[in-house]
Amino acid sequence: MALLSKAEKSYIQSSLLSDPPLRADGRALTDFRTIALETGVAPLANGSARVSIGRNAPDGGGGTEVVAAVKLEVEAIGEGEGVDGGRISCSVSCSPTAYPHLSSGALDDLQHDMTSVLHSTLGHSSLRPNNLGILPGKKAWLLNLDIVVFADAGNVYDTIFMAARAALWDTKVPRTRSVEYRAKKLDSIDSESKAMDVDGANQDQGKSVLDTRETTKATDFELPDYWDEGEVLGGREAWPVCVTLNLLPSLHFLDASLQEESSVPLRLHTMFSFPPTAAPCLQTFRLIGPGVTNSTHIQSLMKDGEKYARNIWSALESKLKDEDIRRNQKAREKFICR
Amino acid sequence: MPHIVIKKRPSEEAVITQRKFFKKTARGKVIKVLRERYLRDDVPCGLAACRACPPPDDPVLSHYGDLGHAAFPGGHYVLPDTNVFLSQMDLIESPLFTPPIVLLQTVVDEVRHRSLPLYNRLTALAKTEGKAVWLFYNEYRSETAIVREEDESPNDRNDRAIRTATAWYNAHLALAHPQSAPRIPGQNQVKHPQVVLLTDDAANREIAQRDGVPCVSVRKYVEGAKDATSLLDLLAAAGSEDAGGQGQGQGRVLYDDYLPTPTLLAGIKAGALHQGHFNANQYNYLEGTVPVPALAKPVLLVGRANMNRAVQGDVVVVEVFDEREWRAPGDAVVDMDATLKNDDADDSGEEGDGDDDERVPLAEGERERKALEKKAPAEKQPTGRVVGIIKRNWRAYVCHIAPTSLSSSAPSSLSLQTVFATPVSRLLPRIRLRTRQAPALLGQKVLVTIDRWARGSRYPEGHFVRALGRAESREAEQESLLLEFEVPYRPFGRAVLGCLPVEGEGWVVPPKGEGGVWREREDLRELDICSIDPPGCQDIDDALHARPLPNGNIEAGVHIADVSHFVHPDTPMDSEAAARGTTVYLVDKRIDMLPALLGTNLCSLRPHVERLAFSAIWELTPEADIVNVRFTKSVIASKAAFEYGEAQIRKDDPNLTDPLTQGIRLLNTLAQKLKAKRMAAGALNLASPEVKIHLDSSESSDPVDVEQKELRETNSLVEEFMLLANISVARRIQESFPQTAVLRRHLPPPSTNFEKLQDILRKRRGLTLDVSSSGALADSLDKCLDPDEPAFNTLVRIMATRCMLSAEYFCSGSVSRDTFGHYGLASPIYTHFTSPIRRYADVLAHRQLAAAIGYTPLHPSLHSKAHVERVVDVVNRRHRMAQMAGRASVEFYVGLALKGRGEKGEVTEEAFVIRAFRNGLGVFVSKLGLEGLVMFKRDTQFDAENYAITIPSSDAGGKDVTISVFDKVTVRIEVEKDKNTQRGRVKMVLVSPVDSSEL
Repeated sequence: MALLSKAEKSYIQSSLLSDPPLRADGRALTDFRTIALETGVAPLANGSARVSIGRNAPDGGGGTEVVAAVKLEVEAIGEGEGVDGGRISCSVSCSPTAYPHLSSGALDDLQHDMTSVLHSTLGHSSLRPNNLGILPGKKAWLLNLDIVVFADAGNVYDTIFMAARAALWDTKVPRTRSVEYRAKKLDSIDSESKAMDVDGANQDQGKSVLDTRETTKATDFELPDYWDEGEVLGGREAWPVCVTLNLLPSLHFLDASLQEESSVPLRLHTMFSFPPTAAPCLQTFRLIGPGVTNSTHIQSLMKDGEKYARNIWSALESKLKDEDIRRNQKAREKFICR
Repeated sequence: MPHIVIKKRPSEEAVITQRKFFKKTARGKVIKVLRERYLRDDVPCGLAACRACPPPDDPVLSHYGDLGHAAFPGGHYVLPDTNVFLSQMDLIESPLFTPPIVLLQTVVDEVRHRSLPLYNRLTALAKTEGKAVWLFYNEYRSETAIVREEDESPNDRNDRAIRTATAWYNAHLALAHPQSAPRIPGQNQVKHPQVVLLTDDAANREIAQRDGVPCVSVRKYVEGAKDATSLLDLLAAAGSEDAGGQGQGQGRVLYDDYLPTPTLLAGIKAGALHQGHFNANQYNYLEGTVPVPALAKPVLLVGRANMNRAVQGDVVVVEVFDEREWRAPGDAVVDMDATLKNDDADDSGEEGDGDDDERVPLAEGERERKALEKKAPAEKQPTGRVVGIIKRNWRAYVCHIAPTSLSSSAPSSLSLQTVFATPVSRLLPRIRLRTRQAPALLGQKVLVTIDRWARGSRYPEGHFVRALGRAESREAEQESLLLEFEVPYRPFGRAVLGCLPVEGEGWVVPPKGEGGVWREREDLRELDICSIDPPGCQDIDDALHARPLPNGNIEAGVHIADVSHFVHPDTPMDSEAAARGTTVYLVDKRIDMLPALLGTNLCSLRPHVERLAFSAIWELTPEADIVNVRFTKSVIASKAAFEYGEAQIRKDDPNLTDPLTQGIRLLNTLAQKLKAKRMAAGALNLASPEVKIHLDSSESSDPVDVEQKELRETNSLVEEFMLLANISVARRIQESFPQTAVLRRHLPPPSTNFEKLQDILRKRRGLTLDVSSSGALADSLDKCLDPDEPAFNTLVRIMATRCMLSAEYFCSGSVSRDTFGHYGLASPIYTHFTSPIRRYADVLAHRQLAAAIGYTPLHPSLHSKAHVERVVDVVNRRHRMAQMAGRASVEFYVGLALKGRGEKGEVTEEAFVIRAFRNGLGVFVSKLGLEGLVMFKRDTQFDAENYAITIPSSDAGGKDVTISVFDKVTVRIEVEKDKNTQRGRVKMVLVSPVDSSEL
């Protein structure tokens, strides 16, 4: 989206099309710039991450930079938009300094576009974590995923999805215990056998073997351990990654810089998830740009996309595990050996 | 170039530096809270011997600690675990428990989290003189701070923190005592002092031992201490956990388990359960009621299993049964002392009396069933059972040791035995406790605390706190009375006395014109003001005057002691007075709300001295209609202090024409008109049994006599003007501060309260009671007459009064405007203004009135609704307690008087029957203001419908006699010392129409 003259564009295009392809920073077509990832950057959030791509090592400047944070909120089901079992709401906002040339209206449009892509991908029911429910039919967690783009030096969609995935991976859901009042009625009038208990704690209620019907009325919940951060989101391995294929007739390349993005007629965003037990799944794809292409080409691109996405996914996975260890185990060891 | 340093700590250290936790708000949201933690190396350890730490201002922990314990010859300090404070607070608070204590921040936090009252006691303890308590901020000292491990429960984490701190303290102590050899773990004879971890958590002890941290259980520790015998008694029941006390609880389960608190709250929210205060029935120990807002009638709890370990005053949660299971309250007197005298305190059966163990509950079950099996004659009441406790209101109870529960084999030995303590209050169950001092405590009043009530134990378990003295000695009875009604009776502290004027007794009103005190004060020294009070009154807080005005109207003034001039908001004296709430009058003692210097001197409107006053001055027409009223701060000089009788004589003496007497006469005529107006408006003339105790002399009060209080015209004179002042002030402060005015109201009683009385009156006397309004009630009460028996009317009034609600203080912003009314006085608005020396609510009204007339700005706290509500809650409670304490004190002296009379011969008095039971009669002796119970051993014919019983005549072949409610009988009154309880108890026997001593 950088403002480039026709001459500049054709210069970039011809270098990419030359043999071997040439890029301004000397990368091969499928090379990514350096990716830096850190989780737990917002201590008050339930999960957070900062991802930057292509930051200059010496001065820490430049590059695309995105921060994602997850905040969980208790939501009553039935009033407003609450859904049984919880829901996810995503939003992307862009710092005006990331797009200094855009008017505020255009910036709003951009944010809205990014939000809708992110929300429609991550908010899809196939990806919904299984532990966002609190009280069936009464209360559930609303997961707010907020993403801020601080700087855009190209390939912002991949970065956003990476940050989103890292923040969701980092998210811990506070453990809750539903509290319910259970009135067990017997046919006999024996008052002894009316019993109430907290769910999960009634192994010793052997008395009421005769109960005929049971009414469950969980009305509230409690936090059994308020120190505990909670458990990780269910199915966190499945969160998709995005890989953007920048298409020039006859070739494609990854992780385009701003100038490169402006020089290609077509871009293909593919979002793949890799559930540990099932086959890889294409969550969304999106073709954007003034150019045209055909379906056979798209199919082959999809295959390539899956391959690249797999690479990104496994790199991200190992880094996220490292982060977990760094922030907990290593920090504790450091504390003890102080 | 300036060098810039970033002070923010790197986020990599978040695990150490940040403490995160979740909080659930009242509205059901979950928020994450983050606390930064800065660790330091200079948190002082408090050891006098320490050279490593920065020296604290006053090192609390002496050089060698406590050297008196057998197991720690080298000296020691104790470091108690949280559980010690949670269950053994009495032990730690005892003045006999002397070792220096290291109090960890972790422990304090945990105590606060678990129990706020215990936390308050703990903070008070840390400040107690004579206790060496050092609060160590272990979570902030870098060596002792710890981080929660993964999968570690909060409890384990805190235990680890406590162990770490103990270990560190011991290492730190070794530095301070370098001359001694390094300690080898496991070696007992240590020469240098130690810090000993005191805990009742066996798992914690085990780990501590493994890590070489010195630790000991509370029981073990106390056994080795200097005053072991006395201290062991203070051990709470939970402390005997090691001694196998638990096994018994598991063996036999008498009560259902309580539901967990969250379930209870969920149930209450869903409307399936109800919350309320548990009220025991004083006539039947197997019955109790819980008034709940959702139901018109209180929920009845029948039988021990349904009351499920609730104790008088607890906030409980009840489940209401199906409507077909509802019952009516029992109609027999079931006395615990008589029914259960065979119970063995050593219930667990240590000496092989296992069969007894079986028999007792069985026999009791039979009794219970019998008691329940009666027909339900009257209407049924919601019936239910206790399923959980929201809040225990256990405190220390005054008890006697039941002599029968003492083991007979060793009557005088100092061995540990289990005995029953019978509380003085009939509303409480007896308490089981283990003591070594049982023989010594016999015949004494003792203070006992309930510790717990296990599911397997029929009675709650408690421990001995201290002895108050021989039963029936005046000192012990007086103190026990104050304790029983929670009256704060300690002398005023130094901080409180520091708020008094420095001149002390010598304080006088400064000469006029000096500003200060005289600012905006009216000079009323020339007025002929006098005070009229009961005989012997020292705290004169009101004085009056009246004079004719040139226009034919009358000026009348009420002058109230200006207490708010001396008691300023937010001072120690003010908070002490707010906590005391009211002065408590016992027969032989007065417990002041304010220090005596103020109450009986500087604020007391004594004659012939200048005093500061807050005056309400009316212009009244001769018909006693108010033309206008003004309020002003003033200086007065009372011309005389009369007793009621004196004033009456003066008024009636036609020869006296001095201005004072004229004033009294003027006031009297006005008062009569005011009263007539009040009565016309529907004010009630209520009655409560009031008797007066004659003390022979103020010093020795033993032979006493009782007579009914005499009411004179002058009593009513003072009363009318006080009412007038209170009403006028209430209007004014409500106008000025509609949100926070301190007012007093008396809610109209629900008509259901009168149902029973109405029914009795209709059936027995053919009288009707119209309770539709206070005026109607007053009228129909006037018609309740028995030409042969003038006392009958008073009796009905007393019984009607008991059906009413009690008046209460409230904050005008907290309730709706239409509930402000005072039912008894038939006034739409009312407050207390006239006795600021003895009532705290009046002090508040004074402050608000002073602000309303622009004399002083209102203190911010009186603008806060929440603050005013909190204060009036305390004052209401204190007020109620003070009334009960006063009544109990009168009862005690009536008992003494009866005993005195009884020695000279039989005491027989006329009495009215006020209640009929299947096996007894409730009677009221109006002459003595005494209520008693006549019990029959043999069954009688009980007619519940007509409130009557039929008793076979005492002579063989004689006619049966029917006695019903409102019948006049003659009773013989004896005071006998109950063998079981050591309680001097009034026993009544019917003399006529039948002699019931045989029955």
